[in-house]
Parts: sequence; C-alpha cells; structure tokens
Amino acid sequence: MTEETAGMGDRAAAGWLDEVGVRRLLEDDLETHFPLPPGDRPLVEPGTAVLAGDPLLEHIRDRRIDEVEVHVADGARPIPGSRWAPVPGRRHRDREIEGELLAPVPGKGDRWRLVTGDHRVILPSPVAGVVTEVRPGAEIRVRPDGRALRGAFAAGSAARGRLELATDPFGELRPGGIDVGRAGSILVVGSRIDAEALTRARAMGVRGIVVATLPGKELRDFQASERRQRAALHAIPPFGVLALDGALRRSIAAPIMALLERFAGREVALLVDPPALIFEGADPAPADIDRAWVRIRSGPNAGLEGRLIGPAGLRRFEAGVHLESAFVELEDEPLLAVPLGDLERYA
Amino acid sequence: MSSEQTAFATVDRGTATVAVALVGRVGARWRLLGSTAGPAGVPEEALLERLRARLAAADPSLAADLGLGSRGAAADIPRLACTTPPAPEIAVVAATQRVLDPLVAAASTAGWRVRPLVLDGAEILGVATALADPRVGAILAGASDPPGADERPLIADMGALVAAMTERRPDLVTVLAGGLAEPGGRIEGLFRPDRPGPTVLAPSPAAGGGEPLRSLLDSLRGGTQDGRRALVAATGTLADILQRRIEVVEIGQAGATRAAAAWTAGADAVPRVAIVPEAALLPRSFADGHLDGVMGWLTVPLDRLRVRDRLRDLALVPWGDAAGEGALLRLAAARAALERLVAATQSFDRYPGPDLVIAAGGAWNAVPGPVVALALADVLRRPGVRAAGLDHARLLAPLGTIEDVEERRSVMADLREDLLVPLGSVVMPAGLRPGRPAGRLVVRGAGGPAELALVPGGLELVDLPPGERAVVELELRDPVRLGLRTRHVTMEVAGGLGGLLVDLREVPLQLPERLERRREVLASWQAALWPEFEA
Repeated sequence: MTEETAGMGDRAAAGWLDEVGVRRLLEDDLETHFPLPPGDRPLVEPGTAVLAGDPLLEHIRDRRIDEVEVHVADGARPIPGSRWAPVPGRRHRDREIEGELLAPVPGKGDRWRLVTGDHRVILPSPVAGVVTEVRPGAEIRVRPDGRALRGAFAAGSAARGRLELATDPFGELRPGGIDVGRAGSILVVGSRIDAEALTRARAMGVRGIVVATLPGKELRDFQASERRQRAALHAIPPFGVLALDGALRRSIAAPIMALLERFAGREVALLVDPPALIFEGADPAPADIDRAWVRIRSGPNAGLEGRLIGPAGLRRFEAGVHLESAFVELEDEPLLAVPLGDLERYA
Repeated sequence: MSSEQTAFATVDRGTATVAVALVGRVGARWRLLGSTAGPAGVPEEALLERLRARLAAADPSLAADLGLGSRGAAADIPRLACTTPPAPEIAVVAATQRVLDPLVAAASTAGWRVRPLVLDGAEILGVATALADPRVGAILAGASDPPGADERPLIADMGALVAAMTERRPDLVTVLAGGLAEPGGRIEGLFRPDRPGPTVLAPSPAAGGGEPLRSLLDSLRGGTQDGRRALVAATGTLADILQRRIEVVEIGQAGATRAAAAWTAGADAVPRVAIVPEAALLPRSFADGHLDGVMGWLTVPLDRLRVRDRLRDLALVPWGDAAGEGALLRLAAARAALERLVAATQSFDRYPGPDLVIAAGGAWNAVPGPVVALALADVLRRPGVRAAGLDHARLLAPLGTIEDVEERRSVMADLREDLLVPLGSVVMPAGLRPGRPAGRLVVRGAGGPAELALVPGGLELVDLPPGERAVVELELRDPVRLGLRTRHVTMEVAGGLGGLLVDLREVPLQLPERLERRREVLASWQAALWPEFEA
C-alpha cells in the first residue's frame, strides 16, 4: 500500500466497492425462450416439467400457407393459433393437410389461411426445467432447473453437451485442434475462435463452444454458414456458440474459468436466448469470491486482473477525459489507477 | 419540494448509466452541490454516498447544516427520479409503401422502435410471423383517409390479419389510424371488444403534420417517470425561465430526444418533441449504414472491422473504454446519432432556430465540453447565432418529473446557474461565397476588441471564457443568412468552455468523400478544441 492509498481501507470496509459494477457468476430464475413461429406445434403445456431431451416443439422446415374450409360446431368460432386437421372420415376433404389457423380469408365465408408444411422435425429441450409459458405463433418459455452463467451474446442454436476445457483461458483453438473425439461436447476454448474452427467443430459433432470473445467478422461468417446448413434438406444437430465477454480479444476471467473448471466433465446446456450456460443441479457459487477482486474489462489494460485497493477519485485520463477511478493492485506491477467503468467485480 | 426540505437528490437512470446529483438549500436558494454518474448496475445509494462524502470533506459546515454530515445521511433524503427504459417495439403495417412511410415517421418519433410491414407484394406468412413476434408490444395499422385505389383490395386482408393477431395475444395494444379508424366501422368490428388490450382509433398521419398521431403513440408507450417525457417538460419550463427559444438534443444508449420550446409572454411554453430510438448512440438495428455513419466522423484511422468490434463492445459495456481512442469513438458515434436525430426530425427546421442548444444524455458525459460544442456545430447546421450548453449533471429530466408547473419553475429558477455548463456560442452564417474574403468580425469583450478576417470554409475560435459576455460585430461584403438575410449585424454572445466558434463552413456541411481526407479535415477542426488528444 502506498502513501496515496493509505487510509482507504476504512472506506473500502464501509462499502465504496458498491461503486464498481458487479458481474454475477451464477444466476437463478433465468427464463429461456424458444421461438415458436406460426405453424410450429408446441408439444408441452405451461407447467409441464421437461427433462433434457424431451420433445419441446414440432418445427416445420418448409412453412407455407394453404386455404382450407373450416366448419365448426354451432355457435363456436375458429380461433387463430389453434390447430386444425380435416375431420376424420370425411369423404371429400380438401387435402390431407394439418396445421395452424392463421386468419380468415376476407369475403370467402368459412375459408381460412392455414400454416402448414411437409418437413417436420421434433426439437428436444436442451435443458431440464419447467415450461412457464406457451404462446402459439410466438414462443415457448422454460425456466431451467439449475443456475446460469450469462454470456454477452450467442449464435447458432441451443445445445447440450459435456463441458470440456480445450485450452487455457488465454488460448485460441485452431481448426486442426478439433477432432471427432470431441463429439458431443461443449468446448471451452479460451480467448477467441475463428469461423473456420467453429464450422469444423460443428462438423466434428461438437455441440457448442464457450469462448471469451468472438470478433464480428467471425460471428457473421459463422451465422452465414449456419443459415446455409439449416436450409439444407436434412436437419443437423444443434450447435451453439456462447461469447462470454464481447468482440475484442481478452482472456476468460479467472473467477469464470474457475467455475468452468469445477463443472468440467458434467453435462451443461448452452442457451442462445438469453445467452447463457446452464449448470443443472449446480452447487451454490463458491463462497470464497474476493469482493475486491476485479478484472479490467475494457481500456488499454483490458484483461488484467487484480485487487481493488481504494478509490482514486476523479482523475484525468488519456485524451483529457476525467473519470471516476480506483487503484488496482496487479501482480508484479505498480499500483494502477483505472476508471471505475472499466472494472468489473464478481459475486 | 417543501419549504422544510434542506436537500434532495436527483436520479436519472438510463439504460447505460445512472446519474445522481445532490441539491441543497444554500441561503434561500436551491443549489447544485455535486453530481456524478456510474454504470447502470451500480446502486444509486453508493453514488449518493460518494457525493455526500465529498461535500462533507469540502465544506463540513454546509454538510452539517443540510443534515449530510454523517455517513449514510444522504440515503434518506427525498429523490426526484426518472428512468429511460429501452424503447418498446411496434409493428407498423399498411397496404402500400406510400401509406406506410408517414405512419413509420410518426411512430419512430414517438419513442417506439419500428418494425415496418407492407402487405403489397409481401408474403402473408412473413408479415404474420413478424406481427406474432413476442418482442412486438403494439401494432399500428393504417390506411389513407379515404383509402386509395392501390390499398383498397388489401385492407380487408390487413384487418383480418391484425385482428387474428389480437386473438392470439389479447393484451396487444392495437392502433387503427386514418382510413381504418372509423368508429364502429367494418375494421374495428373485427376486434373483440372484451379483450384486455385496447383497440385505439387514431388520427391519420396527415392530420396536423402527424403530431396528433405521434403524441397518441407516445402516450401509449407507458412507463411512469419516463425520463424523456420529463426532459421535454423541463425544456418547456427552462424556456419560460430564460425567456429564450431552447432546443435540447439528448443522445442516450437506447434512444434520443429532440425537444424545442419557445418562450411566449403570458403563456406556458409548449415544446415540440420527437423521441427517436433509431437515433440512439448504438441502435439495436445497428447495421452497415450505421457503421458508415460512425466511420465518417472518426478523426483517427481505425480499421473498419476493429471499429465494428469496438462498437459492439461499447453496446455491451457502454460505460467502459471512455478515455483515449474510446472517447473519440464515442464522440463519432454521438455525432452519427445526432445526424440521425436531425434527419428524423426535419420538421423542426420549419420553425425559427433556437437561441440556446442544450446537449443532454449520457453520450456526451465523458467528452470534454469544448468538443461537445464543436460536435453540435458540426451536425446542427442552421444559420444563426446561438449559445450552447451541456446538461452536465443530468438534472433536467429528474426536475421535469415535478408535476406542479409552478413548483418546477421555482426549483429550476433557483438552479438556473447550475443546470448547464456553458459550452460557448456559435456564429454560423450561410451563403458565404467561397474563394474570397467574406468580411470581418470584431469581438468586444472584457479583454478588449479583437478583429478577425472572415475566410469562407474556416472555423475560427475566439477565446471567451464561461461567465463572460462580448459584443460581436459582423461586417460582410455580401448579404448572408444569419437567421435573417443581412450584411451587417451586431449581437451579444455568451462565453463558455469552447469560447466563441465562428463557423464559416458550408451549411449544410460539405465533407470530402474519401475517408482519409475527411479524417484530416475533421481532425484539423478538432485540434483547436481538443489539444489533449494526441492523434
């Protein structure tokens, strides 16, 4: 502790640490959303308890609209969003189609538009939990049984697999480093990954990637590849990418890496909306998280970690910008004044 | 605020940051005692305590008098608080593009993120999927009044489709505008009257320049203590107090506001307002066009992919990376956002220009004041003479939450010297002939007279510190537009952090197409006002 920071312990003890933003390592009560566009059929109801792998919805891969004549019992009226199928045994059916009623056709009596399709796939739930809401034409919501590590963004689709650490927190996974031995896993790949490695991972049967950062170019390339794959005739297994921090390269934060190490080898679910990793049956978060441990999240020292020593007040930083700041003690480095906005604590 | 109160706090909670200020009664007046801001997730109590501790350290007796001498004392003082939540989403649907455009213009300036949908030539399934998206919180369906020949064949389909959506989501707010808004008419009859969500009949976007529809849509956004509505209320009150024409341009992380109010003797100022989510610092719909806009204002050579990634991180952590190049990037994004705001609110230019322009919102907070003055001059290209100020403590919106107009006026009048940081004044003539001297400018201030030869295309800076006033005399060879067309004008201007900017650049601003040359030009203008930045 230097002369400048002497006496700051009191304030720290008194709670000035609250001025530094906190990132929660494990969250409860997260609710995940699965898209259910018009035509897709929910296979669950609100309140249903689902296990990982249970059918969640029937997805139509080639949605189209047909017109059908809808006759209902006296006094009743068709309801948009409800399922419709030809009456069994009827001799002169329009066609052998089944689907979801979209809207009546104006000026054509009992004729309705029906969303239907020929190629249907069952989408299983990647996570165990309870269905909280089913909105035909919109979404299914599930509250997972487990605790969530939130990410910054995700791409691809929700998936499930065995958590494996492929590199250290600073590493980068190259395409050549992925083989079929990783099939069925969700790989933690360190600081960044490129689109080529992502597509190779998908081809090798990997279910998901957890990475600190994913640059925008790689994200776009991967999304374009995903679209092409999903448009193909045969359905492909789910595959998702979870970026924990953002787009600019930095390593996985030490407290998060410690968490991932704890759960290595266990089944986890990777969610896309919201972006998160679900640890089912997770133990409570480690009790020994140091309240004063911080990571420099952005700025010239992004990625470094250390301990908060005390507030440094309003300081002038590069380009004459005045920002509230704090002193951070880094390993083998002199004390550093860092803008509070660039710091994140963990809880 | 009751007369017994000795202090109160203001809290402006945005989507990116939370700004807190401490206001106390000093003598017989309310005065700003301190302000600060932090990431949105930081509890306001922590920020208040930071302010209280600083007050107690700087002036212990005042802190004691105000009951703020001891730790935690600020936690119990009254608060004026407002929140600017992320903009909700509205699907705007019409039969043809011709009808859709004015509807979109009204909705996009009413605080809604707009998802435009045209039936003509579109696949019904795509339109239905977009309408059913759970992120859509309301539907605005409209038609010309009376419906045109191009839209009549599609109106029944549109009505059936929208009505079907409200059966799926009975709580969906539905607005029928223009030709669809016939009370008890065929289209309204398609909607179940007993559903929980309202079906609102609205005026055509052609009526009253679209303002009645805009205003209605704004009121349907919901949200109590909405920061942007409160900012508008404060704008009107400030115009009354200062007896000036005022324009506020607020740029936030999730939206932007442009509010203008003019003082009228004997009547409360009624502000014109536009709340534009698309003009957010980094709108949710951020695409290549937005990136081009930011790149066009950058004064340092940064790789396009790198800029995209930095902006992506800025969207994720809007309070971070605020110094160095991060400040430049933020400023470029703020200028681009202001450009979008101006483009979305061109109707404002039909009214006389403001005497005072105020920059508000979190986007300007971490940038040095003089640079904000330049950014305003760069984008708000209206000929005239005006002062510029910065809502540095983000006081305006919380003060706008005071419902009683007289009380609001009283508190704001007390705080009039603390509300704004004076950024300076801008003299911006239009219609200068390039290639030859335009005339001369004489500034008579406290430091004696200073004379300046006027060269078209340039940006001249005259040192005029905050608190000082000067008389400016402009003598030109040819008549120019300066609010009115004139060759000779004398006026009084106020100083500020940026001094007096004599802006002889083109109106509107002409910048080189090539990015490298453009950067050089922008950097040369910026250099005088931001010497700390080592480009």
